[in-house]
Amino acid sequence: MSPEAPAPDTAESIGRLVQGRERTAVEIARTYLERADRSAARLGTYLHRDAARTLAEAADVDARIANGETVGPLAGVPVALKDNLCTRGVPTTCGSKILEGYRPPYDAHVVERLRRAGAVVTGKTNCDEFAMGSSTENSAYLPTKNPWDLTRVPGGSSGGSAATVAALEAAVSLGSDTGGSVRQPAAFCGVYGLKPTYGAVSRYGLVAFASSLDQIGPIGRTARDTALLYNAICGRDERDMTSRAEAKPVALDDLERGVKGMKLGIPRDLIAEGVDPEVLASLERVAKTLAAEGAEILDVTLPHARYSIATYYLIAPAEASSNLARYDGVRYGFRAKSEDLQSMYAATRGQGFGREVRRRILLGTYALSAGYYDAYYLRAMKVRTLIRKDFADALGRADAVLLPTTPTPPFRLGEKVDDPLAMYLNDVFSIPASLAGAPALSFPAGMTRANLPIGMQLVGRPFEEGTLLRIARTWERTESALRVPPIAAEGNA
Amino acid sequence: MPIDAKVVHDVARLSRLEVDPAEAPRFVKELQSILAYVEQLQSLDVSGIEPTSQVGAGVKTALREDVVVPSEVREEALEQAPDRDGDYFRVPRVV
Repeated sequence: MSPEAPAPDTAESIGRLVQGRERTAVEIARTYLERADRSAARLGTYLHRDAARTLAEAADVDARIANGETVGPLAGVPVALKDNLCTRGVPTTCGSKILEGYRPPYDAHVVERLRRAGAVVTGKTNCDEFAMGSSTENSAYLPTKNPWDLTRVPGGSSGGSAATVAALEAAVSLGSDTGGSVRQPAAFCGVYGLKPTYGAVSRYGLVAFASSLDQIGPIGRTARDTALLYNAICGRDERDMTSRAEAKPVALDDLERGVKGMKLGIPRDLIAEGVDPEVLASLERVAKTLAAEGAEILDVTLPHARYSIATYYLIAPAEASSNLARYDGVRYGFRAKSEDLQSMYAATRGQGFGREVRRRILLGTYALSAGYYDAYYLRAMKVRTLIRKDFADALGRADAVLLPTTPTPPFRLGEKVDDPLAMYLNDVFSIPASLAGAPALSFPAGMTRANLPIGMQLVGRPFEEGTLLRIARTWERTESALRVPPIAAEGNA
Repeated sequence: MPIDAKVVHDVARLSRLEVDPAEAPRFVKELQSILAYVEQLQSLDVSGIEPTSQVGAGVKTALREDVVVPSEVREEALEQAPDRDGDYFRVPRVV
């Protein structure tokens, strides 16, 4: 292949070409770095990039291949990491001032796995502070823009990870998903985002937000790329006691086997109100296409799913208030000047955390405090049981539940940032699967008339990520070629 | 159980979180609106329902072998401290 040939745009093709010594990891890294040089500052996709380090990692992959080492299917694949994933010696701030300058002394489990598989890190992506938000506007450093329309949000909290893949600055990326933080930005940016089953991926080295909900998830431009990245990170790791050996890699060939005889359930009761007509039209189009491919479409009910947001906004802040207690200005990160220890704690946390994080700490502490625990936190955990049962029932009848990822296409920057409840309500379709611990995938399902991406979501049985990817792959095959946003097309013209 | 400035002040103290008095009214308003929203959970009958603290809880915990593994990150970890004294973290006066 001539050096002038365009860089391949899928992780799968990059991995194949680099493993087969047809392209070098360094060449690929240069192409992606140049693209990021053109668009990353305008999009606000990264909090930290280091071209020299990226090229050194790529050169190391090339050296391993030259030595005859077997490098994995992600050989030379440029991957972006959300800034709440620990990277040894590389800044990891979670989009927060309280961790400004922090360089972890270790790599997260998923980062170790990616390095082993030959991936090359492009940088650390912007996110809502401590992954709390749905627009990436809660980053303490800068907002990220939607690559399809720079006046709109990319979604959040993994907004940088989704936008950088959509803009072709990275081939794939990792985000984290607590209530939709991988799926919703994937939907808003027109890419794939998978929240694996709770326990499918080790969180060792993921900065904790709400531990009963947090999962690390892959983002890709195709169903197969998303599967490849999932395969590299899934499975048991003894450093996260919730991680499970049942989480097995997905066979890529299985993704091509179609949906004949599969049952897809649509929860009509949940999507009856408040959904944008273009999003609903997209749902019907996907259902019709998959029916034509041989799937049976049926109605399912999730009667308690409408209580999900209320449940989530008690459970997640309660867990966050506990997890974020560790930021005390003693061992790392920011410390406020103060005369004595107690006031140093309070001042460090008051000045180091942004408004959204402080509000959630206050809410969580309140929900856990004496006198309110039973009425709020305990009750929310019981409703969570009802929501789980809804999914168990629906997934007893159907192989997957199909619903939109979000009620609307991407909203404008600034539109919801001053109204926390309006921001929370945007997560109405993604939170239920998080509470149930079920795997859920957002996939691109067309564009609105204004050329904004629409995402559809599939929710499945525990550890059946492959089924979701297979259904999405079947839809993908009926679609036209990959879409490229204008900002990425500019540079390639 | 209405949220007012005093409740925000008390909860902030429990959270070791300094809240600027000028900011308190906005927190009060936002927390009131969120708590009014979550009030809908009170309408559900949850008697006899077991709470879910974590999906997968109750599954037999897989234990690792209890073996010593090296962890030579002492200096790297200490370098992150805002203030240190040799191998110690230094903090402002305690009492």
